[in-house]
Amino acid sequence: MSASQIIFYLISAFILGCGILAMTTRKIFRSAIWLLFSLVGVAALYFWMQVEFIAAVQIVVYVGGIVVLIIFSIFLTQQSGKEMPKPPLGRNIAAVLAVLFGFALTFLLINKYGFTDQGKAFDWSVNKIGTQMLNTGEQGFALPFEVVSILLLAAMVGCIVIAMRSKPEEK
Amino acid sequence: MSEIPVTHILFVSTALFFIGMYGLFTRRNMITMLMAIELILNSVNINFVVFNKYLYPEKLDGLFFTIFIITIAAAEAAVAIAIIINLYRSHHSIDVEDATEMKY
Amino acid sequence: MHLLAIDWFLLIEKAILILLIVTVCLVTAMYATWGERKVAAIIQDRRGPNRAGPFGLFQPLADGLKLFMKEEIIPNASVKFLFVLGPGIAMVTALMTSAVIPWGGTIHIFGRDIALQIADINVGILFVFAIVSMGVYGIMIGGWASNNKFSLLAAIRGASQMISYELPMGLALISLLMVTGSVRLGVFVDQQVNGVWNVVYQPLGFFIFFICALAECNRTPFDLPEAENELNFGYHQEYSSMKLGFYLFAEYINMFISGVVMSTLYFGGYDIPFVNEAAFGDVWWIGALEFLALMAKGLIFVFIFMWIRWTIPRFRYDQLMDLGWKKLVPLALLNMLITAVVVLWRN
Repeated sequence: MSASQIIFYLISAFILGCGILAMTTRKIFRSAIWLLFSLVGVAALYFWMQVEFIAAVQIVVYVGGIVVLIIFSIFLTQQSGKEMPKPPLGRNIAAVLAVLFGFALTFLLINKYGFTDQGKAFDWSVNKIGTQMLNTGEQGFALPFEVVSILLLAAMVGCIVIAMRSKPEEK
Repeated sequence: MSEIPVTHILFVSTALFFIGMYGLFTRRNMITMLMAIELILNSVNINFVVFNKYLYPEKLDGLFFTIFIITIAAAEAAVAIAIIINLYRSHHSIDVEDATEMKY
Repeated sequence: MHLLAIDWFLLIEKAILILLIVTVCLVTAMYATWGERKVAAIIQDRRGPNRAGPFGLFQPLADGLKLFMKEEIIPNASVKFLFVLGPGIAMVTALMTSAVIPWGGTIHIFGRDIALQIADINVGILFVFAIVSMGVYGIMIGGWASNNKFSLLAAIRGASQMISYELPMGLALISLLMVTGSVRLGVFVDQQVNGVWNVVYQPLGFFIFFICALAECNRTPFDLPEAENELNFGYHQEYSSMKLGFYLFAEYINMFISGVVMSTLYFGGYDIPFVNEAAFGDVWWIGALEFLALMAKGLIFVFIFMWIRWTIPRFRYDQLMDLGWKKLVPLALLNMLITAVVVLWRN
């Protein structure tokens, strides 16, 4: 085994271990922290695949934005030291079975198809990504880019409207 | 780098997807359900990057999909948290089974 | 065995470099506490620490020893795992940024070219931004794990403040990126060594970045998470002994590192002002001098931070949010717009 392989298996074990802990622990804040570690692990996987740009975006948006928002809402709505109730046994068994069957099915599918490495060097650079992202030509992504920006604006306005406390009518 | 078969990375992302699914099935707290969805989205992102890097190395489309998914995940998390806070204000609980007004 | 096929000299070189830079950061932070008290004393017309050693120079050592000897208390109501994790994360995120900063030019020594930069990754500035955005976790985890309402309030304040000020910081960085046209920190510094410092092109951007750096380090006038008259002591209220020391220490490291980042981005990095380094040829001491120049620039920023702390009173919370969202964000957007127009026009 080469160093690269060992690192890959370590990162994968880290991601999956933290993911399982995040989904099974009954303390909600701990769950958020395990999720945070799992997402950092995914960023590490991107670093391992040498797509550093995606790794950096992953850390900036997921770790620095989304998980902070989640923890923020935990601060506002939960009490420290309280545990979440256990899921009922029947549902737990059903969920485990469903998940195992789903995993087995996908595993077999992937195994059967057997994707193989094309062996060519993956050539990306921030310049290339930027040029193609804002290109209006055949391969360009300018339209999705604009659509996403409108979506973000709509989400922002929507959040403010939903979370805004309506003013009391009478004085 | 090529010593790892592509399928192994795909197995990792599949496992992550189903861990998220398990969380979505068993949890009834809105915040933890949101976390499960984040895990699922992440596994999809890994898949896009892997397919782009190993199967179609001359294109960049997978990376763009990943970037757009991350952006939309951020918007989705923000909206979800606005809803959660509003739900907490009216029900004093964020358990999805407590919000049953629209059920009957 | 592929494991042995690594360039061992590279590994040793990087290991030494990492040790060196971490030591430099820690020692600087240690003496920054001494400097803080001296600056405060000068501004308030006092003498400051002067008992331990000449000019009180051994004061930080004595303080460190005191923190080590104190009893370590973990409150019963706290969440132990997270309680220990909090200060650790604060420290790690404070130190991690130093990995991508170019601390000096290339030194030619022992027949090898040694770049005084641990990792010149091709998304350098994004990496800095990512680590800065992770800095909030130390405060949040510590505040929650303490299980104390004052700590929790402080953590909420700290988190919302850091998220709000990350935004104008990112926008200021984007306009800087437009000027430079690269995201590698090495390229940033090279351009400034051979040309004009970026602050000339981006004075408004630097101003915004500086204010945001103050807010990200939780320094006065933005030290709302530690407002002792409202919150007793802030998010690290339940901490004692070296865990408290970690939090206080991380703040000083953050200050120093953000000073160095600002020098790298806007003030020429390791460029020695008014001197043409290339004229000296290939000698080893020019690298050391460049390193010292960067240190000096960073320390000047640390001094300015302290100066501000002992001069300006703290903001109120709504004023803080007003400044962030209603003044800095539009200002940064305007800066971005102007920069974009100028860059387009010049091309």
